[in-house]
Amino acid sequence: MTIAISGDDRAEQDDIDLILRMASKDATALDVLYRRYHRLAFALVFRIVGNREDAEEVLADVFLQAWQQASRYDPVRGKPVTWLLTIARTRAIDRLRSSSRQQARTAGFEEKRENKPSGSEHDPLFVIETQSVVREALQTLPEQQRIAVEMAYFGGMSHTEIAAALDQPLGTIKDRIRSGIMHLRKRLRTYL
Amino acid sequence: MNMRHTELTDELQQSASLFAAGAMTASERQEYQRHLEEDGCAVCREEVNELQSAISLLAYTLPSATPSPDVKTRVLAEARKSLPQPAAKRPSAFGWPLWAAASLATISMGATFYLVRVNTELERQKAELNDRIAQLEIRLVQQQNSIAMLTSAGVRVVDLAGQGPNAQASARIFWDQQRRRWLFYVHGLPAVPADKSYQLWFVPAAGNPSSASVFNTDANGSAVIEITVPDAITSLKAAAVTTEPAGGLPQPSGAFALLGAM
Repeated sequence: MTIAISGDDRAEQDDIDLILRMASKDATALDVLYRRYHRLAFALVFRIVGNREDAEEVLADVFLQAWQQASRYDPVRGKPVTWLLTIARTRAIDRLRSSSRQQARTAGFEEKRENKPSGSEHDPLFVIETQSVVREALQTLPEQQRIAVEMAYFGGMSHTEIAAALDQPLGTIKDRIRSGIMHLRKRLRTYL
Repeated sequence: MNMRHTELTDELQQSASLFAAGAMTASERQEYQRHLEEDGCAVCREEVNELQSAISLLAYTLPSATPSPDVKTRVLAEARKSLPQPAAKRPSAFGWPLWAAASLATISMGATFYLVRVNTELERQKAELNDRIAQLEIRLVQQQNSIAMLTSAGVRVVDLAGQGPNAQASARIFWDQQRRRWLFYVHGLPAVPADKSYQLWFVPAAGNPSSASVFNTDANGSAVIEITVPDAITSLKAAAVTTEPAGGLPQPSGAFALLGAM
């Protein structure tokens, strides 16, 4: 489910309330947060680590970290879903690096970008409209910017690694990442 | 970087972009994190926050995946285990007879236990109802979008027929040519095992097919998918669904499950 991203302030406030209840050690709030976002977080973690067993371990760590660090959540710094997804990505990249699978993941980028994301066919709770908007924004990115952004965000690769992998100057890769994210921000401003 | 900035320059925006994308080297990331935390640079922090929000939306483009229910069980068990345990009862400091104190304690504990149970159950019911309301709100938005699309002018309907062993299956595409969207409904198509996927293809009048979506059906053999038709797709002669290895392929290789002419 994607509550806060719908643009509904009440729903976002509801998410914030959940985090506050978690900070006061209310486990039922963690239960609700898990039900609300586990599929989204799992999709991200699964995409990064590449196998179900590792992804499930990482997902558990993500929600336990959210439980333990709920008191450190600051609404000024972003929505709860952004906070949770940032934890998820960081944990997943850590797992990816520790399992030394980065090389294999990098090799798959050319093929992966050919297969457009399939959306939420297993999960009717995903907000199809939001997925479509984000997907459209991604598709309007120039291909080279999209690849650079995806290699960094999903592949956990630094600009120097991306530059080496694509055989491009470092400055070019930095510009592509910057331009790509700026483009996404501009297209998705109403969802931020 | 050892200061609070007063305005956002191109260079600072570059750094914020690299940090938000996770594209900094380990040492750069460490230094930038220090800048955010210790220098307390509000200019950079604000830019990073917004860029992180933007890039985190990429998660919504990923195929949905559902973890094992064991994960939730483990998370909640670990969380509850971390809760502070109730302190052990001390002997009464007052001169009450032991039996009176014990009775009172028993009654008190019983009442507390009962209230905690009732409260927990109410919290659980409230959480479930909130969750259910949120689900229904999302479904409502989805259905409103679908109805808006199905009733808009210029929507073309394309039927796909089951092929071979899937002759009982059927599908229908509502093609909103103005907004370049497909709303794809499939029924009676048995779910494929985890090592396979169904893949829907745009079949152009000339040239190779291109992937429209990779999916599986639910336990009832149904699926609903909304697809954006890329600008590059101009003239189609058919839509097809094939069975492919899990995750799909750049070009079809498996048997047709559904096929419909445009």
